[in-house]
Amino acid sequence: MNGRDDDPLFRKSLTFCGWSGIAAVVLFIIGGCFLGGMLPPLLRANDSPAEVVRKLSENLTAIRFGSIFLMCSFALFGPFGAGIAAQTRRAETTPVFSYVQLVFTSCGTVIALLVAFCWALMVFRTPEYHPTLVQFLPDAAYFFALFSVPCFGGWCVMIALPILLAEEGREPFPRWVAYVNLWAAALYGPGQMILFFKDGPFSWHGVVALWIPYLAYFGWIAIMSLVMLRIAKPGTARYPQPVPA
Amino acid sequence: MERVAAARQDVRPHVPGEIGIWAFVAGDLIVFSVFFVLVAIGNRDEAEVFTRSRASLDLGIGVANTVLLLSGSWFVARGVARCREAHDPRFSRYFSLAILCGLGFVANKGFEWGTKIAAGITPQTNDFYMYFFVFTGIHLVHVLIGIGVLLLVRHTSRRPVLDRRDVRTLETGATFWHLVDFLWIFLFALLYLL
Repeated sequence: MNGRDDDPLFRKSLTFCGWSGIAAVVLFIIGGCFLGGMLPPLLRANDSPAEVVRKLSENLTAIRFGSIFLMCSFALFGPFGAGIAAQTRRAETTPVFSYVQLVFTSCGTVIALLVAFCWALMVFRTPEYHPTLVQFLPDAAYFFALFSVPCFGGWCVMIALPILLAEEGREPFPRWVAYVNLWAAALYGPGQMILFFKDGPFSWHGVVALWIPYLAYFGWIAIMSLVMLRIAKPGTARYPQPVPA
Repeated sequence: MERVAAARQDVRPHVPGEIGIWAFVAGDLIVFSVFFVLVAIGNRDEAEVFTRSRASLDLGIGVANTVLLLSGSWFVARGVARCREAHDPRFSRYFSLAILCGLGFVANKGFEWGTKIAAGITPQTNDFYMYFFVFTGIHLVHVLIGIGVLLLVRHTSRRPVLDRRDVRTLETGATFWHLVDFLWIFLFALLYLL
């Protein structure tokens, strides 16, 4: 092993990025599932504005604390994505895919932060705002999260391509990881249907448009984080050899 | 050529393509089973609407699309088998025929949707048509991606000599196309025949 192939700092930083992903999932479960009412959805796309205000007013404190956890969870998408890009970067001589990944990581992180902003604003002046304005905020939050398919799907495809196109034995991740990414990208797809439906499985509270993309997204983060942590362990590293000159 | 011959003589258990594509297939089947359950629930809750709407679908178009996809799958399977047995770049014509079947499916689906929309039937008409348009639409996206995959397979099959990676590409692409076919058989049964 030469110096580049046995890089203790890289192992530590990749471990940090892997744990960032795990923490993002855990914080989302606390903030989005237990406190914030994002999944399962407390609100429904076909609730009247008055109904939205009533449901929120009954859960103001829990959702406020939930929003804080959500903000912390979503901010961790940054280090999580950077870790994946750093690993694919090692296999690329000219790291175009890794750079595109970073662009998508940044966009995805910003979009996710906007979800948390909307979630927090929704319970900020709930009684004072006009009910339709309150109703707009969960609409916006779910649109940011679910309608942004090309951004999050593109991110996954940009992880899959450098794995699939790598020379034999120089893949930055095992090849099955590429297929997991393509599968995740496919599962975000139904999210774009929320524009056309306000009730049923294709609305933003439905099984197909909400549950499938959300479970796919956080499942994807968990899988990618575990793969990063495994790669970061000594002896199991996947550090591509430099291309012979 | 020797490498292909060597691969043929290898008698160890062989996973067609690679393990990752099978994980993808399993994942996609899980999602489509959610779709199938939704249609089944709708069928139970709104039996009258579903029966009436189902009767208004053109069974001939559904059968034609089934035949197109099954033929496409046969061409793909035949093409991969020929390439593995004794490769010749001319066998890429099997994949061209499969692509034609796929394009025929897309055209037929476009025609079917067009006639429905012209008759004033949209996803908003009732729950049956919501499922019909959305699920056949999601399947149509699979077909379009499958045609792209088959173009890559055809390109690979035109190489004068196939190495192990090329054979893997052919088998992986073929597996995806068979998945597209398989999902349609279930959609066809649920939406047109049940």
